[in-house]
Parts: sequence; C-alpha cells; structure tokens
Amino acid sequence: MPKMTREEFLLQMDEILGLRAKTLRGDEELGELENWDSTALISLIVLAETNGAQISPDQVVSCTTVADLLRIAQVEDSSS
Amino acid sequence: MASETNTSSQTNTSQAGVPKALRFPIAAAEIFRKRQSLKKELLEQTNLLPSRIAILGGSTTVEVKGMLELFLLAQGIRPTFYESGYNRYSEDVLFENPDLWNFKPDIVFIHTTWHNVSQFPDLLQTEAEVEDRVRHEMGRFESLWEKIHTKLGAVIIQNNFDLPHVRPLGNLEASQSFTRVNFLLRMNTEFAKYARNHSRFLINDILYLSAQVGLDAWHGRTYWYNFHMALSPAGTVSLAQNVAAIAKSIYGRSKKCLVLDLDNTLWGGVVGDDGAQNLVLGRDNPVGEAFLDFQRYVKDLQRRGIILAVCSKNDIENAKEGFSHPDSLLKLEDFSAFVANWNPKPDNIRQIAAELNIGLDSMVFVDDNPAERALVAAQLPEVAVPEVGSTVSRFAEVLDHEKYFEVDKLVQDDLNRSAYYNSNAERSAYQAGFQDYGEFLASLEMSAEIAAFSPVYLERITQLINKTNQFNLTTTRYTGAEVEAISKSPGYITLYGRLADRFGDNGLVSVLIGRVVQETLELDLWLMSCRVLNREMELAMFDALVEQSQVRGIRKIVGVYIPSKKNSMVAGHYAGFGFTRGSVSSGNRELWHYDIAQPYSARTRFIRRTTEALPTAANS
Repeated sequence: MPKMTREEFLLQMDEILGLRAKTLRGDEELGELENWDSTALISLIVLAETNGAQISPDQVVSCTTVADLLRIAQVEDSSS
Repeated sequence: MASETNTSSQTNTSQAGVPKALRFPIAAAEIFRKRQSLKKELLEQTNLLPSRIAILGGSTTVEVKGMLELFLLAQGIRPTFYESGYNRYSEDVLFENPDLWNFKPDIVFIHTTWHNVSQFPDLLQTEAEVEDRVRHEMGRFESLWEKIHTKLGAVIIQNNFDLPHVRPLGNLEASQSFTRVNFLLRMNTEFAKYARNHSRFLINDILYLSAQVGLDAWHGRTYWYNFHMALSPAGTVSLAQNVAAIAKSIYGRSKKCLVLDLDNTLWGGVVGDDGAQNLVLGRDNPVGEAFLDFQRYVKDLQRRGIILAVCSKNDIENAKEGFSHPDSLLKLEDFSAFVANWNPKPDNIRQIAAELNIGLDSMVFVDDNPAERALVAAQLPEVAVPEVGSTVSRFAEVLDHEKYFEVDKLVQDDLNRSAYYNSNAERSAYQAGFQDYGEFLASLEMSAEIAAFSPVYLERITQLINKTNQFNLTTTRYTGAEVEAISKSPGYITLYGRLADRFGDNGLVSVLIGRVVQETLELDLWLMSCRVLNREMELAMFDALVEQSQVRGIRKIVGVYIPSKKNSMVAGHYAGFGFTRGSVSSGNRELWHYDIAQPYSARTRFIRRTTEALPTAANS
C-alpha cells in the first residue's frame, strides 16, 4: 500500500478532529486543538495503521505538535 | 441520481438514512475517522426511536459505545447509554448498582469475551471435571441474567465467547475436553441452550463475527495492552453493527420483503433474448452454479418468512418462462408479487408495495444493474438498495452482511407468511368477480378467533405490537415483559384476533388493550395487520370488546387516537364506530367517547366468531 502524503494525513486529521477540510497546516500545538481526546487518539492509531505504522499511546504522549504526529505516523515529509 | 462521495466531501449519506461508510463493505478506519461528522448527520434524522441501553463491560467499552451509537442511529434508533465501570459487568448487577438500577434500561448488552472466563480447566482434567467448570461458569452468568430479567425487566443481549489468538496445545485444542478452545465452545453451547429456553435473551454471536473478521484482525494486541479493548477497531465495528441489527430486530424494524430483478440477478442471461432453456443456471458451469446458489439463498429467506417479489424489465410471459428452466430452484409460487413490464422500476416497486400493503421502508431491492439501483435509490429513499455489484457470487454475501432481515424469534406465523400473501392475491382475483363488495365478503366464509391474550400467542402479539404502524391507533409499544404482565393483570381487558377464510388462515392479525378505570375502559392500543384491511375484522373485534366490557360492568369506552406519520388511515376510526370526539390532551392525544348502547347490537356482518382455536397449518 502506498504511503500517505502529508496533505492526505492532514485532511484525515481534520476529519478526526471534526474540523473543516484543510484547516490543519501541520504546525499546530496539540494542546490547543479542541477534540484532541482519547477518542481522537484511537482514531489516530487506526489511521497510522493504515499507513503501516504501529504507534502506541506512549509515543503520542511524547508529541507536542501535529508535525510530531506526522513523524511517528511515518508520513512523507515533502508535499508533492 | 445517487450522491457521489469524494474523500474530502462532508456528504456521507447515500440512501435509506444509512450513510455509505456504515454499509457493506465496512472499513473501520473510515468510520473511526469520520465518526464525528457521521454522528452529527445521523442525529438530524426525524422520528428516531429512543432506547435506553446499558453496556456492561468485561473490558473497555468506550469505543464499543461510540460505534454502537452510530450503527443504532443508522437504524433509526436513538440510544441513551449507561456504561458500567471497567470490568464491572458482574458487580453492577449482583450489587444492584443504583446508577444502573435508576437508569431503567430497555436493553442490557453484556460485553464479555474470552478474557472474562474466571477459570479455565487444568490440563488433563477429565470430561466430568471440565463439565463441573462449565456448570460453575454458567452459574455465574445465570445469576446475572436472572437478576436482570426479574429486577430490571430488560432484554438481554449477551456476547457468547470468541476464541483466543493463540493455542498453546495447537490443534489438539479442538479435540481434548480440557483445552481452552473446547471449554469456550462448551460455554457457547450452554449459552445457546439458555437462549432457546428463555425469552428476551439474545446471543450476540461473536464466535461467528470473529471468524468472519479473522481472529488475527479481531484481536488487536496493541489495543488490548494499551487500552484493554478486547477487540481491535475492525472487531469493534463488526460487533457494533451486529448488536445494532439485533436491537433493530427487537424493535421490529427489520425488512420484510426482497424485491428481485431477474436477468443476471436470478439467472445468467436475458430471458427475452436467449430463451428460457439457454439461461445460465445449474451445476454444469461456475456461473450457473453461482446463480443456483443465490436462488437457494433467496429460497431460504422465503422459507423463513421473507416475502419475495419480482421487478423485471421484461414482457411478463418471458419473465415467467424463466422459472420453467429445469434447474430453477425458485418457482413462480414463491413470489407474492410479480411485476414485469417496461415501466421505470421505482413505479413498479411502489405498485408492489401497494399490492402487498407494506411500507416502502420494509423493502430491499436487488438488481445487478448499477443504473437501476441508482434510480431506485434516488427516487425511493426508503427502499434499501444494497450495492451488490454485478458478480452473482457476491450477492448473498452482501445481503447477509447488511443484516436486513434480522429476527429475534421465529414463529409458525413467519413460516406461513408467503402463503398468507399468496392467498391474498387469490382473494383479489376472486374479488374481481363480484359486483357487490358485501357479497364478496360473505362468500369468503370468514371466521375469527377473538379472545383474551393467552401465553401461546404472547410472542406473536408482542411482534405485532412492535411492528404495526399504519392501522395503529396509538403506536404504543410494549416489551414482551409488559405484554405478559398486562395479560395477567385484572386491570386490563385484552383481546387478540385471528382471522381465517376459505382461502386460508391469516394468522393473528389484531390486538386490543383496554385499561379499566372504574366503569370506563380506556383503549391504550388497537391495531390490525394491513393484510386484513377491508374485511370488517375491526367490527368483530369491537363486538368482542363490548361483550367483555359488559361482563366487567363497563359502561363507557374511551378510544385514544395519537396521530403519527404513518397512521392517518385510522384518523376517522372512532368516528366510524359512532364515538363522539372529546378533548385533545397534550401530545396530540385525542380522546373519543362511546357509551355502550343498551341493548348493544352486534355489528359484525360477515365474520363468524369461534371460541375454539382455528386450525393452523401445523395441526390442520
């Protein structure tokens, strides 16, 4: 399965957090996001799984920004 | 046309109120991602049926609850939940947790899995010792179920057991009595036996679901260790969809009728072009065998009470010819309605619904042609149109996985349902020969058995109460427990009515519940199955009601009419009986008054009342 692009990941995070499409830019602080809760956490783990990345809550807890999430979910860095 | 969905669109609904993401094939990742927008959209539906559901968990239940909510909303049920503390399923019931008790659930869902077995047998224990363990474990569960039934009166949905993800004894686990696999299968057999012997107790078959999903996919090890979720997201979604189907069946909201296309749906080829003998149907080739197996699946549905109808673009003679193919398992008489012409299918499906006197929302339409499917889905949003694709070998799988026809009980009346509808067609044809409708009714030689609720009919009565929408004066729903209590209470007059005629038995078709208030009887419920409209059955019920009322010293009957979206046909019901209109209380509750005439002359003209049981298919 091809890896997800940055854009695709952010769009899916928008959905998980109940945000309008293309809201997230990737540099947001997790603490500032409404709806960033345990339910969103599970959805994120499921999302990362579809990208072939097994992430754990411990790893997520060490993240502070959306960019950190992109990294542990093994999402490509460049947008093309 | 049916709405297109693209990945970033916020439009989720395709038709029949069920968003595309929640329909087969279900992708757990998609549902988890879209859960917020799905819930928001589903809550916009009107006329949702409220239901109080207690989830008693043997593991983490928050995701189960979230997914169950979505699938229930998709079935038109709006749940309010109680959730037990972590793994407190047993304590909550045994110690009568006041939060649970005050919640007064309609349904108690016990979410246990193999993790919750208190003790597995030891290696090399004898069969007798293993049975002791089974007994002990059963005792633990039985005490919970008994308490829930007697103290809470709720319907129980109980998981049976899934199998563990590893087998220390390897394949030997299948044959030796002391193994985990064998123990869990023994427990499932005992759970099934309990379900057979107790009403309002239904098994959620996670053994089957886990097989369908695949054990490795079912058990999400990360999710277990990090969250103590017994199931992976894929498992959770599969379970939630299944429990919602069971709940739907409890509320009588399952579909009743399967409408089928013919060419390339029930056989390979186009009968009008190829001729019946050249249709691809039969064991001599792969495609023919697949069509035959689909016919067998459809026949199995019909046998258990699902009404079949044909809706085909064909000349009618050609359409019928197809069933004369020697390998055709389905026969013309299996269908209760048969429409074949060149008109648009939505019009034909409306016609079928009218002919059978059923709602569009009780129909499922199967057609291999995506254009036909899209047209029906767009014009008849209440009809369920599964995306069966065009490969026949998958049709049955899609129908099966959507769980349209889920049922919580199978009774003899179900098995006879096709026959009732078929004989209705005979009656219609017969009626066409009469100038005078009264003459027609007289010639039907109708007889009715009308009496107080009796134990043997309680299940069918409860089924009717929860499914009947059109000829239903108040649309009051009662659970099986409530029906039983009412049947035993001296504060009520209850009546059921069975109707038969020269063409056959219609079964139990009418229910009346009146509450005694000193010398007045207030009718909380009066309903009748649409299959016996215009036979004057309601006159016979009324005569019986007056008789019973007089015996009890009742002088006045108060009829109650609560208008709903579906029962406008009975708006003038009490006026027709000579009741006078009284007040309208809050919630649109119309009261109608009738002082029992002295003397009262019976109104029934064409129906003979019997006091003995009518012969049924089983005993005639």
